[in-house]
Parts: sequence; structure tokens; C-alpha cells
Amino acid sequence: MNVGDLNRREFGEQLAGDGVALQFGPFNLRLRSDLDSFAAHAHQLYEPYPLPETTAICDFHVQICAPRGLRRWLRRQACFGVDGQFPFAPYTVEHAFPALEWGINWCVATRAHHLLLLHSAAVERNGRAILFPASPGNGKSTLCTALVHSGWRLLSDEFGLVRPEDGLLLPIPRLIPLKNESIDVIRRFRPEAIIGPSFLATRKGTVAHVRPPLDSIRRAQEPARPRWLIFPRWVSGAPLTLEPMSRSQAFLMVATNAFNYDVLDETAFRLVTDMVHACDCYSLVYSDLNEAIPALDELCNSMDR
Amino acid sequence: MILMAAGRGLIWQDWGDVYLVYQPSSAETHVFNETTAQILKCLEHGSLSTATAKERTEAALGVDLGELAADDFAFATMRLEELGLVESADDVSTAQ
Amino acid sequence: MAKVANERLRARKLLLDALKMPETLPALSLADWELLLRVARRARVLGRLESALHHAGLLGDIPPPVAAHLRAARNVIKHRKTLISWEVNRLLWALKGIDAPLILLKGTAYLLADLPPAQGRIFADVDLLVPEDRVREIEERLVERGWFKTEIDPYDDRYYRVWMHEIPPLRHRERGTEIDIHHRLLPKTSHLASAPAPLFAAARTLADPRLRVLAPADMILHALVHLFLEGDPDEGLRLRDLADVHDLLCHHGQEPAFWASLVPRARALGFQRPLFYGLHHAHQFFGTPIPPDVLHELEDAAPAWPIRKLMNRLIPLALLPGHPDHPSHLAALARWLIYVRAHWLRMPPGLLIKHLSHKAWLRFRGFRKRVDLAQLDLKQQ
Repeated sequence: MNVGDLNRREFGEQLAGDGVALQFGPFNLRLRSDLDSFAAHAHQLYEPYPLPETTAICDFHVQICAPRGLRRWLRRQACFGVDGQFPFAPYTVEHAFPALEWGINWCVATRAHHLLLLHSAAVERNGRAILFPASPGNGKSTLCTALVHSGWRLLSDEFGLVRPEDGLLLPIPRLIPLKNESIDVIRRFRPEAIIGPSFLATRKGTVAHVRPPLDSIRRAQEPARPRWLIFPRWVSGAPLTLEPMSRSQAFLMVATNAFNYDVLDETAFRLVTDMVHACDCYSLVYSDLNEAIPALDELCNSMDR
Repeated sequence: MILMAAGRGLIWQDWGDVYLVYQPSSAETHVFNETTAQILKCLEHGSLSTATAKERTEAALGVDLGELAADDFAFATMRLEELGLVESADDVSTAQ
Repeated sequence: MAKVANERLRARKLLLDALKMPETLPALSLADWELLLRVARRARVLGRLESALHHAGLLGDIPPPVAAHLRAARNVIKHRKTLISWEVNRLLWALKGIDAPLILLKGTAYLLADLPPAQGRIFADVDLLVPEDRVREIEERLVERGWFKTEIDPYDDRYYRVWMHEIPPLRHRERGTEIDIHHRLLPKTSHLASAPAPLFAAARTLADPRLRVLAPADMILHALVHLFLEGDPDEGLRLRDLADVHDLLCHHGQEPAFWASLVPRARALGFQRPLFYGLHHAHQFFGTPIPPDVLHELEDAAPAWPIRKLMNRLIPLALLPGHPDHPSHLAALARWLIYVRAHWLRMPPGLLIKHLSHKAWLRFRGFRKRVDLAQLDLKQQ
């Protein structure tokens, strides 16, 4: 059963009541909200996402609600909460949806320490995955969106979830947030991409969310083996360069870019070592998706032989 | 001055251009160049005077005696001591 | 209404039963586990549950999605333990040649002395007690060797040094761990201020002779003083600190003469009231076995009957985390009242504290302002 199997009214009622349980890859979330506009966005954008079995536990209990008390009536605000705690500054009610999405990132990054959490986009094809470890601003979300609309499956645009037991990547194919110019870039690149409303003037500028293709969502329980580590950088007007990177450099960039490399002690050291040994490592500089995508396709096809 | 290896259970990875070393007692991952790595390796079998450690490092690096700048060597050993990978003692009689 | 009350009771029962009887946990339903994980996480005792299950060999009997949460808690705890042990290691290296008595406090002590509360406990900072006349020397040496002082306003800094019981925290420039150097257990301004000399006299040396910990009775008394006098308006009283006290009482209670010495020592240090509350509530929540004559001996340390009744209501409300979906206004009020009381006990109104506002004081205690979720660096969490 998916979110779309609930009609808008049922969805809104459940959301405002006991909450709606949603499955994002390895995590079940219970989501509550009393905000009508939020319910509309969520119902639209989460439509194909599965609802977990009623017997399954929820890992995170989050809410995006109007604040309690006087502020409810003064300025229309939305507060992100986890387990009844509201540790963050409130947002305007118009930004409730992006706030909730950022909040979910926070939950994963601060709690999922049974996994190695890389700061990385990841896509898969033919059972092999590319990881794109990158800091914000390097354009990995845009590149990732383009790839998943060009024959690749989305594992994640933000978290490379590495399972310590076997080093496999666990998918968490959530909505991909695009900022500012990237939104138009993707609209031009793939007019048929499903992009949600643009939220203007957020703390990160204009934000819109791309819903990944159904295939990515349906196969969210299929892990993948990492095969390439590619460090992307978008540079305006730059010619395409795809160059091998030293393994030690790759190790350091993966480790320093991870959310919890430190926390996992020796396990993290071994996992990253194994991954870097098993992967071909490249740095990628590009300015045009129409150059970058074919280059990546070519690289991965030739490696596969 | 006497130098002794202090890191226990270090996990070494030789990546060709650098060594990446995990230190379980501090949960830290270090990046060592060849010089620093050789200093640690020559202390693996027992404590040495600073002078001897420097000579053995130079030998391991395949450079002439005295080629390694004293300042650089001192800096490396000081840093290793700060990281808890090496211990130093002033008293000659405490060495094996 | 009844549903909410039932849910709150259910949350409370799940947590207390889990802490008292971890062997019953494999029989828990998934729905109960889901609530327990949330409540235990709030009370920061998730690691304690994991540790209990681990020691009982029961982790294999826990449903996999639940086990993942427990494993995550374990990983964080294990990592922090390494950081704390290492920080003490580096501290000793930095202080080589300075022959001052160093008494480890709280979690640092439990860890280095290998005491039961160390298991499953999350560690944050290194806490040390040193003689007041050695503080400057120690601080200067640490700054020389790579630590830096927390940046605070010079007036606040002076306030800290003159009135408080600790200096502003030190942090190494590369590692993140904070070192809190205390020279007494409570601020000089406290109602319960007590001189630190008896603590040094009774302190016990560890296997490494450079390190000491408080004597058993003193350690328990300090834990109780810390519990009842260092509350937080949001979190209330820390249940896990009471759990530590329970562990220490059970552990040290096996030593002959421990129980006989506890109340007299409390009186000598002026800590009989926190001991009174501590013993009663440890027994109430954890079933700590306390010899009846000890409780009897402590009766005159009890507050006046009306206050006793009030505290009997407030303390549990402030101590237990409540149900995450059904917050209680009464519990929030209790937490706030207990916090105000703690604040008042530490700084009586007669003291002129011109510029040190309430917020600044909270800043010292690391109280987090509301951060902007969008700008948060998730890697620093």
C-alpha cells in the first residue's frame, strides 16, 4: 500500500491524528502535521512511497506543526519536532515541507549509527553503484537527478548508507532537493521529471523537490555494491575532465565527508579501506550535464567488461 | 633523549604515496609520509636514542647520514609524541 | 483523557520495568519496543538497556529493527569511551612533572575505575577535581600543550573563577573533548557549599598512581549533589544519574562498613538532604536494597512534612521523561520548579550578580539555543 492509496482527506486526517507511517528505504517514519498546506504537498510528493506494515516499528517520530501557545496566532509558523522535542528555530508555515525534509536528514544523520553514513549521492545500474561523495555546492544533487532520469537507479542523493556487515549500500530513495538555478537546469534537461512546487526565500534560497522515478522507489529494498567513487564538481563553463584520483586521496575525501566516520572507530577505517580498494576513483569537473552523463555512461560501460 | 613507540595495536595501510594509520586507543586516523612512517617503524623493536633513531630513519629512507634536517626530525617526533604514538624520556638509564 | 493518562502510565511502566528487569525485554511486543526506544532515548538510557541485554546474552532475542537502534547507541557509547580514556591519557602526558592530586569525577571516574555505571553510559566531558591553588598552574600547562580556553566575556570569566566551583572548560585544539576542571564540588555561593579538603584526604588511587577517584561514599554523594543541584529546565532531573547512584550503592554496598559510614559522611560534608532524596528515590525506581537502619538514621535529614510531600510529587515528575506524544504540563512545571530550586540553592538571592544574566549562566552549562535546522552542519552532530 502506498501513500496514494489514501485519498487527500483521509491522508490529512491521519496526519493530524495519530500520524501517517511512511517507508524510506531502511527507515520507517511516523509523520504528524496539523498544517493543511503541508498535507497537500506531502500527499502529492510522497504519493508512490510505501506505507510500512502496521506491525512494523517506526524508527523516527517526526512532526511539523504550528507552534503551541500564543505564537500560533501571531505569525504563521511551522516547528519541526522529533519525539515531542522541538530543538530548532521555527520556519514560516510556507516552508513547512522543506523544513520537514531537512528534519528527516537530521534524524538519519544523528541516529543511524548502526550504519556508516557517507555524505554522498549514490546511483546504481546493473548491480553496481557509483558513489559521489561531495560537500554542498558541488552540484551532486543536480548530477544525481540527471543520472536517475537517464537510466540509473537512485540509491540516495545525500546519504551513502553503508551496511557494516557486508559493505553494501542501502537505498534511501527520497525526494531530491534542488536549489535555485538547478531547478531550471533539470526542467530543461528532462521536461518530464516530476518536480514539486518551488519554495522561495528559504534559508537555502529557492528549493524544489524532484520525485525519483518509480523504479527507484519500488526497488528501495535492493542494496548495491559500490564500484566507482567519483568526486564531482560543477564549475561554470569548465570543459569536461574525468581523471583518475589517487586512492589515498579518495580515502581522505570519503572519510572527511562522512557524517559518522569518527563514531564507527575501526569499523569505519576498514569499511572505507575496503571500499576504496574495490572501487575505481575519479574526479569529475563538468559544466554541462549533456557532456557529463554520457562520459559517466561510457566510463561505467567500459569498466563493466 | 630516548624515544619509545607508544601506539598499541596500530593498523597500517600503505597506499603507495602515504600511509593511513588507525590508532585504536585514540580512535584517530593519521596520514603519514614516508619519513614519519619510518621513524615509527624503526622504534617498533625497542627504544632508541634520538640520534640513533634519526640514523636508522635515514638508512630506511635510503638517504645519506645527516641528510634529514634536524629541525624536521625534531618536529616529526614532537608531533608523534603529541599524538601519543611516541614517548620520550630524558634519563638515559631508563632505556633498555 | 483516560487514553492519554493510560499512555503516560504505559510509557512510565515500560521504562522502569526495562531498567529494573532487562531480562523481560525479549518478551516485549514490537509496539511496546517502539515506545520504549523513544522513552529510553529521551532519558538517555538506551545504552544502559543495550549493555544489560549484552551482558545477559539476550541481544540475539531482540527483533532486528530494534537491535539496530541498540547497536547505534552502543557504537556511539563505545566511541565516546575511547575519546574520554584518550583525553585522560593526553592529560597525564601534558601534566608530566606537575605533581598535583588529580581526582576524576563522574563518568570519567566510573570509566577509569571500571565501575558498573560506566557500562552503557554516554560520556561527554572529562571532569577533574584539583586543589584550588593548583588550578592556574594546571590550566597554564594545558594551554601550553595544545588546549585552549573557551572564549567567554572577561567579566563572566572572572565571575566563573571567583564564584563558581570550576573554571571555564578547556578544549584541545584538534580533539573535541572538553575538560572541566573543578576545585570544589559546588559553587562557593551554594547553600550546601562544603570545603573540598576531606574529599582529597579520602580519595582512592587507581592502578595508575597519578589518578584518583573519590572514596565510595563521597562518589555517591557527589553524584546525588550533581543530580539534584544541576537540573535543566527542559530535561528536568537526569534519571540516568540516579541509575548510576543505584549501581554505585549496589557495588560499594558490598564493602564492609560502607553503609555504616554513609550517613555520617553525608553529615560531615553537609550533603544529608540530597542523600535523603537519593536513597528514597533510588529505592522507589530501581529497588536499591538499602538497610532499614540507614534510612532510619537519615530521617532527621528529611525536609519538613509539607515540603517532603511536595518533593515526593515533583521529583518523579522531573525525573521521568513522560510520553513523547503526550507531554504533561504538570511535568513541565515540576521540571521548572526543580530547576529554579537548584538554581537558588547554588546562588542565593543575596548575591549581587549584575551582568550575569540567566541566559549567560545557561550558556556556561552548554544550554543549546534554538539552531537553524537548514544551516546545521550535520557532520558536527
